Amino acid sequence: MYTGGVLSMLLSAGPVAKAVVLILLCFSIFSWTIIFFKLRQYSKTEKDGERFIKTIREADSFKKMVSIYRGGSDNAFYRLFFTAYKELSSIKSENPGISKDYFNRLENILKITISEETERLERRLSFLATTANTAPFIGLFGTVWGIMDAFREIGIRGTTSLAVVAPGISEALIATAIGLATAIPAVLAYNYFLGRLKGIISKMENASIYILNSIEK
Amino acid sequence: MREESWYKMLVFSTILHLVVITAVSIPIKKPTKKIELSSTYSVNLIGELAGSISGQPQGLSTLTGGTRTEGTLQKKESEKITRPQPSRKKQIPERKETKAISISKNKLTSKTSTHSNNTLTKDELIQLEKRIGEIKRKTNYLDVTQMKAQSDTGKKGPGSGSGIQGYGLPVSGQAGGKPLDLVSQKYIFDIWEKIKEAWGLPGSYTTKKDLESIVTIKIRKDGRIIDINFEKRSGNRLYDESILRAIRSIDPLPPIPPSFNADTVEIGFRFLPGDIS
Repeated sequence: MYTGGVLSMLLSAGPVAKAVVLILLCFSIFSWTIIFFKLRQYSKTEKDGERFIKTIREADSFKKMVSIYRGGSDNAFYRLFFTAYKELSSIKSENPGISKDYFNRLENILKITISEETERLERRLSFLATTANTAPFIGLFGTVWGIMDAFREIGIRGTTSLAVVAPGISEALIATAIGLATAIPAVLAYNYFLGRLKGIISKMENASIYILNSIEK
Repeated sequence: MREESWYKMLVFSTILHLVVITAVSIPIKKPTKKIELSSTYSVNLIGELAGSISGQPQGLSTLTGGTRTEGTLQKKESEKITRPQPSRKKQIPERKETKAISISKNKLTSKTSTHSNNTLTKDELIQLEKRIGEIKRKTNYLDVTQMKAQSDTGKKGPGSGSGIQGYGLPVSGQAGGKPLDLVSQKYIFDIWEKIKEAWGLPGSYTTKKDLESIVTIKIRKDGRIIDINFEKRSGNRLYDESILRAIRSIDPLPPIPPSFNADTVEIGFRFLPGDIS
């Protein structure tokens, strides 16, 4: 039955349009999965960062920090802190007297940890960018194909009546609509997450400086 | 974050998409249903017909009271003929019956009124035959033979048409009960053929059974269509527009044959997707 609904239009569309819409649906589902996942990951990381900086400010010495943080939850700042802690203890076991260049080594190891953590936070974010860029084109492909079909149908039927052409074009345009519906949230989310990621990275850098400072004390 | 929460998010996202898809597809169905319901006023035209022809399979024959239909008929000045579309085979024999009955209605009013419900006795059948003979004599046109030949083949053919479709019935002028002669019938038939020829729909529509529009067109003496009126809309805009376009494209028609005896003629057509040629 013709209802004029989007779904019934899709069902009467050609195989290419259906395939395009299916692909776009997969893109959309995955990009929304990433959006939800990243939302949770970022808000959790941010919360951890705030708590970490607050604790490290209040703690007087590095040893006290260690006692507070031992057995803490698994998060980026915890890992940052414990790589520094491990490095420090290995330096101490190698040469018990504190040498001058241990500070550089610690700084390097913290930098490496930060870049590792950044990579972890950025992971799969690129899929959002891919979706944002390709989804409209995939939709456009479906539309162009559908319009090609519509024109061919005019040729076969020999009527230029709008009633013959319009449904085909309308079906074809659905592909572009879905492509845009997939791409727009992906673009928004990608930019939003990039901004948030910057904040998180700067927080991690601050945390590493705090760690170094507390070790110096 | 742990990998297992990926699956959670994937499920969540899939559910979200399903919800959105159903939300998009459901509310659009509702308004079209409303349109279908609101088209009940259209029944009147055919209702009168069903009253005058007993024993016809009628899809729309559950009519609302003869009095109302009478009223609408009196309002309309011009001669009104309704010929809801039929399959050609079935239509012509039925037409004859129609005529016969409407004549017997004139002359033997008491008898037909008592037999208004679907059963024709043997006597009546004999009388019908007689009436048909009379009409043939009266309308001594060239077309008669042609029409007769068609009707004969029609009778022999298997009556496989669906019960709802087969009822073509030209009837009742304003004065009530003057049956149409064959020239007029042929005129209407030709118009219907023209409309069908001009009517174009995308292929996917021809399989949609539940689209139905009833359109009346008013034709001036010289053959110009002066009014197109939807008695019933199908509820599908594209479908209705395609009908309108088809009717407009056949304007002007050949002049009305003198047998109509009227300045304007109003003809009703029923459009089903299956009619398209």
